Formats: sequence, structure tokens, C-alpha cells
Amino acid sequence: MAISEIAPLGPTQTISGRSSTPAPATSAEASGPSFVQTLGQVVSDAVGTLQSGEAAAIQGIQGSLPPFKVVESIMSAQRTLSQALAIRDKAVSAYQEIARMTV
Amino acid sequence: MIDPLLASIKIAGAGLEAQSTRLRIISENVANSQSTATTPGGDPYTRKTVSFDNEMDRTAGLSLVRVKNIGLDEAPFTVEQDPGNPAADDKGFVKMPNVNVLVELADMREANRSYEANLQVAKLSSDLLSQTVNLLKDV
Repeated sequence: MAISEIAPLGPTQTISGRSSTPAPATSAEASGPSFVQTLGQVVSDAVGTLQSGEAAAIQGIQGSLPPFKVVESIMSAQRTLSQALAIRDKAVSAYQEIARMTV
Repeated sequence: MIDPLLASIKIAGAGLEAQSTRLRIISENVANSQSTATTPGGDPYTRKTVSFDNEMDRTAGLSLVRVKNIGLDEAPFTVEQDPGNPAADDKGFVKMPNVNVLVELADMREANRSYEANLQVAKLSSDLLSQTVNLLKDV
């Protein structure tokens, strides 16, 4: 059991400033994108949604966007964030589960 | 294909936009229910009407709602005897807007109910989505 299998936790650390850190290469099967790539894609989508939520909030304060558009964007950002947190919690608890394993 | 619950939130948002436009037109009608012309014998404010239409969002395959047309009510103007009014014609008659405030208030209640219904759809869909995500927690 190689601990490097835990590498998929990497992308969650790059939520802020996601430019470097390519997804850790795994011994991916040739078929389809790996879990790491998928997670990276999801995280960068999430960052985009959060940013558009913030932009909508600012436009809402300035009064240039109707309230329900602002609410729609912010709710979408909130949903994305809570999904990301739930997935991260799941991954962390899996890591801890392995760390507690009796040798 | 967009998730059905996300789609309902988007559709409800279009409904909110349409109903708020309707409320805007109603408020214009109510505010102008006494607006007469500025020239003698001229036409006063004409009541505006709103009609809705089904709008297809082709990328997502959704049926949204949109305001199709803001038209003018063709009902005849009522006439009042008011010789002192600047809009009075040579016999002293003034054309008043064809706005019936009672009708506008009834319409306003209906717009209010429709807006609330769309809000409930958005709220329920959002609640269901977050409950689904919460399945991941504390199992």
C-alpha cells in the first residue's frame, strides 16, 4: 500500500492561486481522465463560480444588476463552495482513516 | 445537459424577471391614472398591457418565460367635464386615462402571487440541492 496514492488530495490545496501545480501524475489507466484531473477541473470551475458570485455581489451593491440575478449567482457560488467543502472533508477523513491504521 | 434542479432555479429566475416587469407596468399605470394631456383636446396616458411568451433556451433545452410585448390598451378614454384643465377641449371636456385602478390592483395581486410562486420553486430546488450535498456529511 503506497502512501503516494493519497496524492489526489493535492488539488484541494491549490484553491487560492491556481496557476502552477499541475495535477500529480498518477499511473492512470489509459481510459478517461483520472480522478486527480477531474478534481482539478472541478476545483477550477468552482473558483470561477465563486469569482462570478463576488462580481455579481459587487454589481448588486452598485445597483447595476437586478436582485434576483445577484441572488442566483451567489446561491450558485454558495452551492459550489459547500460541495467543494463536502468533498474535501470526505477526502481528509479518508486520509485520517488511513493514518489511524494499525501497523 | 443541465441538472434539472439547477434548471428549475434558472427557469424560476426568468419567471421572477417577467413578473417584476409586469409589476413595473402596473405601477406605471397606477401612477399615471390621472395623467391628462398637455394640449387642449389631446390624448391622455394610455394604459399599458404586458403579455408573456415561452422562450426556448436552446443550449440547455429549457422553456423559459419572457415578456413578449408591452402593448397599449385600446379601450376608449373616459371623458370628464373640467373646463379649467389645460387639456380641456373647447366644450370643457377632458379625456382621462383608460386606467381602472381597481383592475390594476387585482392585477398587482396576481403578479405578486406569481412572483411568490416562482420564489417558492427556487427555494425548494435550492433546498433539495443542499440536502443532497449534505448526504456527504456526517454519515
